[in-house]
Amino acid sequence: MVTDASRVRGLAPVRAATQADQGSLAPGPGQAYPPRVGISLVVVIGIGVLTLAAPGLAPYDPRLSVAMPLQPPGPAHWLGTNDIGQDVLSQWLYAARATVAIALTVTILATLLAWSAGLLSGLSARGETPILALIDLLLALPALPLSMLVLTLIGPTQSNVALLLGLLGWPAFARVVRAQVIATRAAPYVEAARGLGAASIHIARTHILPATLVVFPAHLLLTLRFAVFAEATLAFLGLGDPSTASWGAMLGWAFANPLLFTSMAWTWLVLPPALGIACLLLIGGRARPLRNPF
Amino acid sequence: MIRLVLRYAALALAVVALNFGLPRLLPGDPLDAFAPDGLGPAATLTASARARLQATYHLDQPLAAQFAAYAGDLVRGDLGWSISRNAPVGQLIAERLPWSLALVLTALVLAAALGGGLGLTAAWHAGRADRWLTTVSTLVAALPEFLVAMALLLVLAVGLHWFPLQGGRSAFAGGGLLDVIWHLSLPVLTLVLATSAGFTLLARGAVLGVKNAPYLVAARGKGLSETTLAVRHAVPNAMLPVLTLFAVRLGQVLGGALVVERVFAVPGLGLLAFEAIQARDYPVLQAIFLLASLSTLGAMFGLELVYRHLSPHGH
Repeated sequence: MVTDASRVRGLAPVRAATQADQGSLAPGPGQAYPPRVGISLVVVIGIGVLTLAAPGLAPYDPRLSVAMPLQPPGPAHWLGTNDIGQDVLSQWLYAARATVAIALTVTILATLLAWSAGLLSGLSARGETPILALIDLLLALPALPLSMLVLTLIGPTQSNVALLLGLLGWPAFARVVRAQVIATRAAPYVEAARGLGAASIHIARTHILPATLVVFPAHLLLTLRFAVFAEATLAFLGLGDPSTASWGAMLGWAFANPLLFTSMAWTWLVLPPALGIACLLLIGGRARPLRNPF
Repeated sequence: MIRLVLRYAALALAVVALNFGLPRLLPGDPLDAFAPDGLGPAATLTASARARLQATYHLDQPLAAQFAAYAGDLVRGDLGWSISRNAPVGQLIAERLPWSLALVLTALVLAAALGGGLGLTAAWHAGRADRWLTTVSTLVAALPEFLVAMALLLVLAVGLHWFPLQGGRSAFAGGGLLDVIWHLSLPVLTLVLATSAGFTLLARGAVLGVKNAPYLVAARGKGLSETTLAVRHAVPNAMLPVLTLFAVRLGQVLGGALVVERVFAVPGLGLLAFEAIQARDYPVLQAIFLLASLSTLGAMFGLELVYRHLSPHGH
């Protein structure tokens, strides 16, 4: 029989993870939502609109040189042009798209992997050792030098970047899910279901999987953040898809120009993408990353 | 103890094997680029020349033999040959290493001291200062280093002209120690800001965890001053998480401060890695990955030993 004390201890890491932001985004009874929830919602909706409507909103083709290089913002080009005469506003809008596409792909992939690994390692005795060893190895490897090496070898296309970050982004939460599985599988109601003769696959699906979803909101927020953070850093270092530039790539190009700081050009080349990345990363306010990606 | 050593030896072996295997996992033959239908510079690679090249690079041998040759080179300290600079990788890294070490070690020590102190203060004096400090630290910790670097660069170097824009020393001026310190101050400041946020949060959490522990209540009951309580009784028990983060960061020193060195063009390992990306210079990136992962493992191993020393009953 399982005592209450051991269940509480088993749940401790999960609680630590979900409450890392000092209370979830949901308010307690009789409390208003804190303002950060509203601000985050506005940012999410704004980015969503930008992403979906980029082709309609963008005044020019972001890949074409449409004007003189390095023109300051004006009526024809609201955010000016870059060093090869591309319209910065159009680029910025399409870059939001690229950033969101990668972030969503990474999150879906990392979610599937984290939950499969967490459930497998928590439920199957045979799967436990190899999965834990893999998690250990992935957490020990320095992510940025590894990503740089791999992406230089396989080419930094958009899908390669998303695939790599998805493959790197799951171990931390696989551990959290596993802790949750271990805490749940000994719970009295699961034992009761087992006593009634339920198949283990049925127990896993109807009793254990739902219990792990407690950590899903935290996972979603932190993994999205990991993806944006990591993608922006890689793209800034020149490891982004040149045909679908993201905000990080725009910053990287701006810094590759030695004349960036000799004029005011940085105000329209650096500030828009930098603010975009900052907005995306500050969604959710004070929620803390389990682990900084780089 | 033996299990611990074995575990880290296995991890180190996995890292070396990964470093060896990654380029070989990819489809294709490196010499195909030079084949007659390839687009390489030597468009006519005869069969005999090809065989000679294969022999030079051990590509005609089985994988196990290739791995043995690779491991032998590593043991002798041969990290490979840089494609873009036509020089031994080991020599390139040795040239750049002092810059990275100076930059990252200085920043790490400062960040740990600053973050630890701030975290302790925040936890000890709960209230408005605590809330502000936690909020600012979490926000800074959520931002990539290059954004912090750019903000500092734009305000302090471009706007106020207090610091140089880029580089490790003034060009053509010889550049004494003061000149180097002046050039490195913005990169160090960036790293301190970005890194200390994590230390602040960890230290705060750890101190909060022990703040109301019975032994502290007892110590307070003896009439000890708050400072003595905090420094002599709370800190030692709150050290472990801070120490852990310190070890993790220490392990990453050999990777250089990749992003920050790029923004400020500090000629360290990070900038070397960036230049290697531009030139698709795999051997350099491989060596940097290898060094970074092995030093991370080494730091973690050292940390485990320190853990054992600090809490002998924990194992």
